[in-house]
Amino acid sequence: MLFDLLQNTLDGLAMGSAYALLAVGFTLIFGVLRRVNLSYGPAIMFGAYCATWVHLNFQAGVLALALITIAGAALAGAYVERLCFAPHRNGSAIAAMVASFALWMQFEELVTLVMPKHLYDFPPMLSADPISFGPLTLPIEALVMLGCALAIGFGLQRLLYRSRFGLAVRAVIDAPVAAQLAGINVPRILMQVFLLASSIGGLAGYLIVSTHTQITPMLGMWSTLKGLLAMMIGGLGSLPGAIVGGLLLGVLEAHSQWFLGPQSRDLLAYLLLFALLALRPFGLWRARHAETRA
Amino acid sequence: MSDYAIGVLTNIGLVSFIALSAYLLLIAGEMSFGQQGFFGVGAYVAGIATAMYGIPLPVAAVIAMAAGAAAAFLVGLPTLRLRGLYFAMATLAAAEMLRILFELIHFQREIDGELVGPDGTQGFRSIRWVFEAGIEPADFLVIVWALLALAVTAFIVVERSRLGATLRMLGEDPELARMLGIRVERFKLGIAAAAGAFAALGGALYAHHNTYIEPRNFDIMLGVHSLAYALIGGLGTVFGPLFGVLIDIGVLEGSRVFQGYRMIVFGGLVALLLVVRPRGLLDERFVHRLRFRAFRHT
Amino acid sequence: MRTILFAALLLASVPALAQRPRADLDCKPAKGLLTYDCIIRLTRGGQPLTGAAVTVGADMPSMPMAHNLKPVKAAPGEKPGEYRARLELEMTGEWAVKLRLSGPVREQLILHFEFSETGVSPVKRPSERRRPG
Repeated sequence: MLFDLLQNTLDGLAMGSAYALLAVGFTLIFGVLRRVNLSYGPAIMFGAYCATWVHLNFQAGVLALALITIAGAALAGAYVERLCFAPHRNGSAIAAMVASFALWMQFEELVTLVMPKHLYDFPPMLSADPISFGPLTLPIEALVMLGCALAIGFGLQRLLYRSRFGLAVRAVIDAPVAAQLAGINVPRILMQVFLLASSIGGLAGYLIVSTHTQITPMLGMWSTLKGLLAMMIGGLGSLPGAIVGGLLLGVLEAHSQWFLGPQSRDLLAYLLLFALLALRPFGLWRARHAETRA
Repeated sequence: MSDYAIGVLTNIGLVSFIALSAYLLLIAGEMSFGQQGFFGVGAYVAGIATAMYGIPLPVAAVIAMAAGAAAAFLVGLPTLRLRGLYFAMATLAAAEMLRILFELIHFQREIDGELVGPDGTQGFRSIRWVFEAGIEPADFLVIVWALLALAVTAFIVVERSRLGATLRMLGEDPELARMLGIRVERFKLGIAAAAGAFAALGGALYAHHNTYIEPRNFDIMLGVHSLAYALIGGLGTVFGPLFGVLIDIGVLEGSRVFQGYRMIVFGGLVALLLVVRPRGLLDERFVHRLRFRAFRHT
Repeated sequence: MRTILFAALLLASVPALAQRPRADLDCKPAKGLLTYDCIIRLTRGGQPLTGAAVTVGADMPSMPMAHNLKPVKAAPGEKPGEYRARLELEMTGEWAVKLRLSGPVREQLILHFEFSETGVSPVKRPSERRRPG
């Protein structure tokens, strides 16, 4: 029993690191633009499919595949920014969100048009044995994922609060007009934020598909939903919140899956989200800017 | 009319119900990601009523609407004070919970030596009331569109009344509405329940058109599509959402010109359209200008 | 042999209901990716059901109203009760095949199949969908 609890927690932390990475990218976009990018997951899927295509047609190493996934996701993210977010910067949040949904449909169809099989194999990152601590095991991929999530969360926090770029980003968040007047190129900052967030998403996508060693078009919807869920649990626009929210979601899912089954796992995750929204609408960690209405 | 044309037109009618329900909430200033849940409630309740208890479809549809309204009311109760994205996420969570509940329901009865009823992820087969009543596809099409016409008429009547003005004021400025003595929470709960009922009616008809439903039919895709239809068609008039459905299912799917890459065309069109007209083709300004012109010529 | 044959019984098991038609569907990949040749065998009360007009369509389980194939008419096959149709899908994976019968009997039957490039097999339990890859 104790063993199950511990092992489930480890498994949950492994999955939760992926959620945390997804949520970090999501929260970066939301924190800066106050807009929800439904195409976040589909852009990641696009990147992962680019890597799958390269893997099928050429010999490519692990690092190359990871870079292609990130580059593909960033490229798709830039396209989404140009078409859905730049034009609606001062306009309707709903229109921006629905436009990003429209591009989601594009990515899904494009991917199935070029690669119509429902499921493709994806090469694993490592073929090393899992690490064991007595009876407990933890795959190395999970460790890599957890490390990436923490490093990126920490690095991003430093970038936002300790660099000129971060200063500019925060200025754009707080007072876009004043930032513009102070000589900050606001559209350019927004584009850079978008590229950064999509690249983080791409990294998350690569880690996820190489851990599962297969890919389907479902990856798009899955990433958007899980990222959104983890972000909402942690509180909108907060980086530490996104990481804690992701890990919490992973651990909760692992335990409920073990004790109750897969359907109850999802049911519980949504119940948690619903209850949090109804009772604590600004998440467990209230972000500095979360009170601004979405 | 060919069977295919009848099928496409019926689908347009069915999707229009859920697009209407998304539109109703949008003009009241709320964006719901969860109308597919109430569509599903309608489908399951009406299917259970006709296939398992032999209740005629008209009665079953009314029961389904009541169930959809009740479900939407219960979801609205703790969530309608949330705004924007928070409300959208709460409704999405509610709809996903409903979908998972459909996956968990195993409730079957033996009817004529055959097990009938929802069977979890296996779905719910043999919702055959329409077949047993001898209703041809063309007749069913007329029924769907007659009900849709009724719903649209109700919308038009409401929009021209004081109630409609209140509705739009609520969408524009809830604080102003509150100051003018409107009980915003109550009013919104009423709207949410009505939207739930419209979605449920569409679901009830869909279940009987298809004879088979499964939980996956009611996932987020349906909900976001209905939002998109309302928004691209336009928020200025009740014909907006219908127009949105017509563009996607009628023109792009029906014509089959873009077969294989229809969603690439549609997705790009929608994104570009929203740049030019963020409140859709038939937006408030367009409708206003149209009315003004019609008025001037009479 | 590349062809994988299978049969799927639609109605649960009970023979009491002799009036309702049953369908077996037998699909194999044809020339060209995503094209499948299907043989439909219709029976009623154990007897082949002949002379029915059959149209075959297919829906994706998610958003079935917008993502579906244009139904094709099935032609009578070699044996009584057999019908042939060619399906052209948009992607491999799970599809809900919809058979609409008219003529001597009006009925709509829905069968779930997993279409892959090597063969087609019935889906016993529609898959759980929230997997990442």
